[in-house]
Amino acid sequence: MPDIESCLIHVVDDDAAFRRSLVFLFESVGWTVCPHASAEAFLAALEAAGPGVRNPLQQEAACLVLDIRMPMMSGLELQRTLRARGCRLPIVFLTGHGDVELAVQAMKLGACDFMEKPFKDQALLDAVTAAIRRGAAERAESSRRSSACEVLARLSPREREVAQLVARGLPNKLVARALEISEKTVHVHRQHVMEKTGTSSAAELARLTLLADPSALD
Amino acid sequence: MHEEAALRRRQGFSGPRWTGATLDARAPNGDLWVMPLPRSRLFLLAILLFALLLPPVQTHADESPPAVRIGVLAFLGDDASGQAWFPLLDHLQHRLPGYRFSLVQLNHDGLERAVTAGELEFVITNPGHYVELEARHGASLVLTLDRGDAPAAERALGSVVIAPRQRASLRELPDLRGQRLAVVGKEGFGGYQLVWRELLAAGLEPERDLAGLLTLGLPMDRVLAAVERGDADAGVLRACVLEQQPDWQTRFRVVGARSEPGFPCVTSTRLYPDWPFARLRGTPPALGRELALALLAMDRQRDGLAWAVPADYQSVHALFRELQIGPYKDLQPPTVMMLAERYWPWVAGFALLVVAWVLYTVHVERLVDTRTAALRAVIEERQQLAADMRASQERADHLARLSVLGELSGTLAHELNQPLATIANYAGSLIRRLDGHRLTDDAVREAAGEMATQAERAADILARIRGFSRKRRMPRAAVSPREMVDEAVALFRGMLGGAPRIDIASALPPGLAVEMDALQIQQVLLNLLKNGYDASRSLPAERQALALRLEQADDLLLITVRDHGSGMDDETRRQLFEPFFTTKPEGLGLGLAICRSIAEAHGGHLTAAPAADGFGSEFTLSLPLNASGRDAHA
Repeated sequence: MPDIESCLIHVVDDDAAFRRSLVFLFESVGWTVCPHASAEAFLAALEAAGPGVRNPLQQEAACLVLDIRMPMMSGLELQRTLRARGCRLPIVFLTGHGDVELAVQAMKLGACDFMEKPFKDQALLDAVTAAIRRGAAERAESSRRSSACEVLARLSPREREVAQLVARGLPNKLVARALEISEKTVHVHRQHVMEKTGTSSAAELARLTLLADPSALD
Repeated sequence: MHEEAALRRRQGFSGPRWTGATLDARAPNGDLWVMPLPRSRLFLLAILLFALLLPPVQTHADESPPAVRIGVLAFLGDDASGQAWFPLLDHLQHRLPGYRFSLVQLNHDGLERAVTAGELEFVITNPGHYVELEARHGASLVLTLDRGDAPAAERALGSVVIAPRQRASLRELPDLRGQRLAVVGKEGFGGYQLVWRELLAAGLEPERDLAGLLTLGLPMDRVLAAVERGDADAGVLRACVLEQQPDWQTRFRVVGARSEPGFPCVTSTRLYPDWPFARLRGTPPALGRELALALLAMDRQRDGLAWAVPADYQSVHALFRELQIGPYKDLQPPTVMMLAERYWPWVAGFALLVVAWVLYTVHVERLVDTRTAALRAVIEERQQLAADMRASQERADHLARLSVLGELSGTLAHELNQPLATIANYAGSLIRRLDGHRLTDDAVREAAGEMATQAERAADILARIRGFSRKRRMPRAAVSPREMVDEAVALFRGMLGGAPRIDIASALPPGLAVEMDALQIQQVLLNLLKNGYDASRSLPAERQALALRLEQADDLLLITVRDHGSGMDDETRRQLFEPFFTTKPEGLGLGLAICRSIAEAHGGHLTAAPAADGFGSEFTLSLPLNASGRDAHA
């Protein structure tokens, strides 16, 4: 679980007073806030930061609080741009009266939540917290998946075939029949697989396989 | 002047004008050649001879005898002129040797000029001209020529109208209608004017009723010849000329012969006095008397002519008066009949013009009528069109206002959200920091300052909206409530696709007018109707009907909108008119609040109550009948 206290909140809103109030609010719960006057300003800051600790792409506990209506680039457009760049920064949209349509669009594109102004401060804080958690979870999930992929990538092609079938719960005899190899050979491959992946059972191997590719065992 | 031109042509030479020739009585011995020539030719020859044979007339400035110049009208002198006057000259010179007499023969105009210039002492002229001279130059009568064949000096001159013998139809003067009449000239006294008078008396206007007036000039033989040849149907001669023609009875017939007792010749006219011998204004009367005595002594047998005591020339005056010539030209006040006779072509022309004008006027009137009707139709059509346009414009205005209100709600909500959310954020943050014991003075200052600023911002937004609604205010006017309500209902129906039934019941006296801002009141009614519609739209059709009631209570106009909807609970009714209170998901909650403020601005109220029979609600808008009543009663 990421450290909520040390998370970084990016606020993008064209209304300066409202932006300042959000900064004031988030700071009262100890968050670090990075305000931006427009979507373009946010993107520019992103470019300037480069790969590093403050880059939202690298930051584990981060959230984007985004006004959906802005004069130049709208919140929705910024969301699409970020998504195209592979940035999975969690977004909480702020909408005005009657912007429900836009908010629904934003949710379909993967936004975490939307708040209709005026909102209760706690509700926003809760939404942001949830978004950060969800972002962190997604981030953790994706890192687990990439390490699983990495582990499985160490197997030889034959070992990978054997691992697939073992993960599906097939006994050695059936694996040997399916691969048209001897049961003894299957046993050797299976021991290698267990060693290389660090698993001790077929169930563990199955979890690893699914982690790397959720559709692998379909 | 064609007579003069004709005479000159007859002279056959371009020598001295005979009209200006002076005959000096002393030079010739008085022996005149009497030759079988036409008299006038003889006369001309005489002048010629005098002019050629005699030495030029000297001016005898040194001679003592005073000159007496006698002007003689030569124009119509015919047989009486020329040599006829020489005996007169002889006689006078003989009888009055103390004077030097001279005869100046002049035509009508020449004589006129000489008289005007005072170059003559006496004048011998025809009666007509004499009357003119008398009137214009104060000529006075001395003697009248006496030819001896007339019964009296007053009845010596006449004219006769002749026609060829075979023209048996020409008996009386009226028979001359449509015939050609030959005369010596229109200026001729005996040669025309006498007959002119008789023609008028017979009802003939020569210029109008005769086929033509042939003016032939002297001598009168020309008239005879023209009649005989058939150039003219009839001709005018001086009386007694005819009788000198051989076999005249077999060649001519006399038209309109009159019996003039004692007159030796045939005449077609009344008789007039003969030529006068007249003294001109500058001549001493004594000299006139001397000459009169001398002339009276002339003897016809011996001298060829004689003079008689002055005749009465009244008959000549009468002639001129009737003909309106000479001194009576334009002088006599014309009678209506004379005017009518004289100017009938003008009168007829004028009458024709009047008739034409009347016809034209009638035509124009009719044209104007049809055109006016067409124009009126066009104008009415255009007015109708304008009214339609105005109606749809008002309608569009209403719709625009409603849509503006709808749009406004979105904008308003968005704009108000910003400061409100900002304020909420600061307020929440402050509490949060306070609870976490992390509240600093700087944070409080910052938050409080921001909150105050945002509160002002919200107030500004609301002020802007109020300004907007004020801008739309129209001047108030007295309108018929029923018409205003009908219009609002029509608008409402126009705005909704499937508008429900709306019953309108009016208990107002006819002709009632109430002062109001009709647009605003209609806005209220539209709101009430819309609310009623919303309250019952999900119900069965019979429950959807709305009812509008107009009535008068004391000095109030009551307009009630009633629905058959689900009604309101007490909580709702209590908050109904509060701004931003709404039960509708998309509602802004301003409608009824604005409606109430409109009603109050009109000095009225807007109230809500459950319907009497329990179904639905009733909204009642009450307006004072007399908008200024509250002021007037004060």
